[in-house]
Amino acid sequence: MTDAPEQITLAEWDGRYARLRSAGLAEPAYGGPLGRHLAGGDTRLDKLLYDNSAAALRLWNFLLSEADRLFAAGQAGKTIVAAMKDLGTVPVMACALPDVVAFYPDGAWWIPCIMEHGAGLLARADALGIDESFCPVRAMLGAFASGAHWPEPDVLICSVGAVCDDFSAIAQRLDGLGHPVFWWEMPARRRPDPGEPAVRLPTGFTAPQSQVDVVRGELQRVRGALETAADKPLDDAALARGVREANAIRRVLAELRRLVFTAARCPLGALEMMIAEMLAIHFCSDRDEAHRVLGDLLAEVRRRVDAGRGILPADAVRVFWVNPVADLRAMNLLERCGGRLCGTELLFSHALDEIPTDVGPAEALARTALGDPMVGPAADRAERVCRDIRRFAAEAVVVSRIPGASHCALEGKVMHDMIAEKVHLPVVQIEVPPLSDPIAAKLRTRLEALVEVARGQRR
Amino acid sequence: MICVGIDAGSRAVKALALDAPGLETIGAMVTDQGVQQQETGDRIFARLLAAHGLAPGDVARTVATGYARNLVSAADTTVTEITCHACGVHHRLAEARTVVEIGGQDSKLLRLQADGSVRDFAMNDRCAAGTGRFLEMVADKLEVPLADLGALASRSAAPAAISSMCAVFAETEIIGLLASGTEPKDIIAGVFGAIAARATTLAGPRLEPPVAFTGGVAMVAGMDKALAEAIGHDVAVVPDPQFTGALGAALLAARQCHPAPEDRGPTGGM
Repeated sequence: MTDAPEQITLAEWDGRYARLRSAGLAEPAYGGPLGRHLAGGDTRLDKLLYDNSAAALRLWNFLLSEADRLFAAGQAGKTIVAAMKDLGTVPVMACALPDVVAFYPDGAWWIPCIMEHGAGLLARADALGIDESFCPVRAMLGAFASGAHWPEPDVLICSVGAVCDDFSAIAQRLDGLGHPVFWWEMPARRRPDPGEPAVRLPTGFTAPQSQVDVVRGELQRVRGALETAADKPLDDAALARGVREANAIRRVLAELRRLVFTAARCPLGALEMMIAEMLAIHFCSDRDEAHRVLGDLLAEVRRRVDAGRGILPADAVRVFWVNPVADLRAMNLLERCGGRLCGTELLFSHALDEIPTDVGPAEALARTALGDPMVGPAADRAERVCRDIRRFAAEAVVVSRIPGASHCALEGKVMHDMIAEKVHLPVVQIEVPPLSDPIAAKLRTRLEALVEVARGQRR
Repeated sequence: MICVGIDAGSRAVKALALDAPGLETIGAMVTDQGVQQQETGDRIFARLLAAHGLAPGDVARTVATGYARNLVSAADTTVTEITCHACGVHHRLAEARTVVEIGGQDSKLLRLQADGSVRDFAMNDRCAAGTGRFLEMVADKLEVPLADLGALASRSAAPAAISSMCAVFAETEIIGLLASGTEPKDIIAGVFGAIAARATTLAGPRLEPPVAFTGGVAMVAGMDKALAEAIGHDVAVVPDPQFTGALGAALLAARQCHPAPEDRGPTGGM
């Protein structure tokens, strides 16, 4: 298409979709106008701004059709694996098996936003004893209770230990409600003692080899659980193939991030970038299609960068964003306040790094999993953030908190202070609930002020 | 050349007119924020001009700031209260390097560069913890006029311990303290200390003096003392603290009209 890149509303997408179709747009089976998702109850979509490319349309349709895909897979007799909390490891293993589909019930935390509480998931979680003192990921509990968002999985595999406290508590409640969970333990990553055998993880952190051994042992148990659920062996050769496929996706994402975050003009909006990054961890229940969707997006971005075209003014302030937001609208708001996304740390940076291929796949996956930014000291995570801030030449930083999330309460201040001290950039903390409309003015003030301060520091 | 700043805050709307060449304040006005927030901002603009014999055509530029800044149709542009307070404080107290601003529903801490531009800032959470609204609740519950809180607190020898900074929970605590016989003066002194302590959490481990205190809560006698004790530094109350944001907005309006070569301060986004 020759149309200039821009951000458009859902209503505008209807007209654009008709034009794209008449111009010969070819779509996958899950394609169609974006507006149909609104009719299906995803009312928040009407309040967002979208990239106007066919590649973005495909990304959104892929994301919003995941439930259909999961139910179809269940009906086709495929093995459904619910991977929980590990963010990026178990799906790599599961997808190495034929006729196995993996998904993250964790992703339900966006349903209260997308459906503007229409599905009543948080109210269901309340009724089950998991109230708003927990992270909005408690929506997962409501989704399991409703049975409307995915078929009952053949196996639920959840990491516990040094991971999110809220999630562990919610998953335990889920287990108690008759959804048996296969637990595997993630140790709290520590720095090696002097002289202790150590290994450098793909994320750049260093950990004792003994901890990697523990994780490898735990993942070996996960492998057994997957084999039992699928009734098929998962040998090293298959696992290595799975790692290679995951790495192919991670390479596309790495290039997408490099182009989007370093381009002179912003070629793709913050919202689409956040969703694209999420594909690295969950593949949206179809790894091969996720690869194609991201490939399309990368090609579009490359075209725009080569042509020097963007969707935002050239002087937009380059903002690094820490933590995902419960309300997707916040990413649009950043851009309306004069910012653009130039770097992210959305709690799963370990899933963006390539999995090592110079060691066996089990060892490689263990090293990658132990590099999870959430299982080590907040200072480690802040170090990585600072490194990426410099890499992408960000001018300001947003540390976004998730209401009720215990890790945000623990980490927020540490992250804020370390980033401010090490990179000498303005940093603002915000808290974004699933529906931020009532506090939109306050969020706007914080983001606008950040942009003003960063602009002031350009002089 | 007349420039106007309008600070449309959550509890009060302030307007200030400036004679731009000399940066002299011509007049200032305050009114309560209303339900019809757009009308409140525009009404005070009209009243301010009328009070000083001015017509809208006499005004070269108007900048709106504050929570409801986007609803002021009289404004040519908007700038956040972070930038406006920094500008206003720098104009009044050029040596200030840290600004504590406590308004109706927000509290802020700004770190300033030598030229008055903002180096970094922090704001309170979305609840009314440690803000003017919190003080209003206390005054209401104790049936004490807001203006008398400071005088009462100064008589306290044993400030009460206030555990919660949530305005809702603290109200419950105050009822409990009253029921247990704690005197209002001690409750108020405890609340002052709690608000000041809250402001220090925004400051983090390093706070560079001199410290300026501004915003509506800075008008409450005794709050500056409580803040100074909490942060361990002297605190200078900015003159006419309620108008600092409006002053900053007017100064930025003037700067946007005629940026002087020697004036390298921020313009608020221009």
